[in-house]
Amino acid sequence: MENNNTLPTTLLVGLLFAGGVYALAVLEYWSVAGRLAWARPVRLALKLLAREEIKPRQRDAVFYETAPVLLLAAGTLAAAVLPWSASTPLLSLATGALFVNAAFAYAMVALVLGGWSSNGAYAMIGGWRFLGQLLAYSMPMVMALTATVMRAESMVPVQIVLSQRGLWNIVYQPVGFGLFYLAALALAFLPPFDLPVAAGELAGGAWADFTGARRLVLRLGRLSLVMSLAVTITVFYLGGWQGPGLPGVVWTLLKTLLVAASFFGVGHYVSRVRYDLLLEWSWKYATPAALLNILWVGILLLL
Amino acid sequence: MVNDSRYLLLLGMLACTGVFAGLLYLVKFSLGQSVAEPGKDVPAESGRLAVEPAWVRYHVHYYGFALLFLCFDMEMAFMYPWAVVYKELGITALLDMGVFLLILFLGLVYTWNQGGLKRQ
Repeated sequence: MENNNTLPTTLLVGLLFAGGVYALAVLEYWSVAGRLAWARPVRLALKLLAREEIKPRQRDAVFYETAPVLLLAAGTLAAAVLPWSASTPLLSLATGALFVNAAFAYAMVALVLGGWSSNGAYAMIGGWRFLGQLLAYSMPMVMALTATVMRAESMVPVQIVLSQRGLWNIVYQPVGFGLFYLAALALAFLPPFDLPVAAGELAGGAWADFTGARRLVLRLGRLSLVMSLAVTITVFYLGGWQGPGLPGVVWTLLKTLLVAASFFGVGHYVSRVRYDLLLEWSWKYATPAALLNILWVGILLLL
Repeated sequence: MVNDSRYLLLLGMLACTGVFAGLLYLVKFSLGQSVAEPGKDVPAESGRLAVEPAWVRYHVHYYGFALLFLCFDMEMAFMYPWAVVYKELGITALLDMGVFLLILFLGLVYTWNQGGLKRQ
């Protein structure tokens, strides 16, 4: 296993990630307003910094400060393991696929902490709702990843990309891809599953009482979460850096941005899903489907 | 024990995230403070100032799902190493894990049958 955490690689991955997050901010606005406003992320950041910052009284100060940073960390940590090309995993862990899951799990902790700490009923219910959502999306997501590990015979992301040389996993295990895609939407609380933080539901839910710079960090954290998830889908299901002509890094970036654009597009056309229905559907249909997907991949591998 | 320095990278990333957020807060701090006024710092609760903290007991209805989740999550801990060696072991691995999953799946079916998966 090689690690390329040299300075140029680190800078390259950091720049690609940051640029991707910026592009995602533009794309998200495009999905809502229908036009590409390139300067809007900057304007929004400046606006959040300039606004008066009000912290709720009697808040749980430690959790209130931890939650935004933890969400940002959850979004970025997974990026260290995910390769943009054959030579750019910052950290080639033998447990890579598992680590990606573990990193994403902290998003739930961050949201529950954020909802709890502001000492408002709406915010707290928002946090609990996201916990309920985790119980729904987590199992299909983890099981879908297991099936990709089965094919690659390794948890190292680079090996998983290499295992898709002949046929991408999206074709090899379409059910797993579908489950992972939906679970990713739920994990990043993107529109069909944005009940925990939707502005129209609980006065803003888990985020209701964050203003100013902390709100900015939360927004950045969510975008980096979406970015990491899009890279994860590219690496695990869309053949990673593989593609004709262009260099690998460019292919990864293109696929990632396409996946992210499709995330936002889906949210634009589907109505919001209640978390209790999501729980019910997930355990009745998604979890059995994930088990069948494992069986399907198992049989294909033995043939 | 060989490659422990790799994890320094993760620690470094965590530290960078913290420092980045801290810098943003510093910029925010330098731009001026909010004026303390009564009623301004009420949490979003339709303008009503709650008498007691919000941390009183709320019923979380999905605890049944949480129990199911725990048992399936434990199973996943076994599944990752199994998935790595799956192809090597062949049909034996498929049958072994199949029996294990079937037992768990029967639990899910039982919960379903008892109405545990209904929305509440």
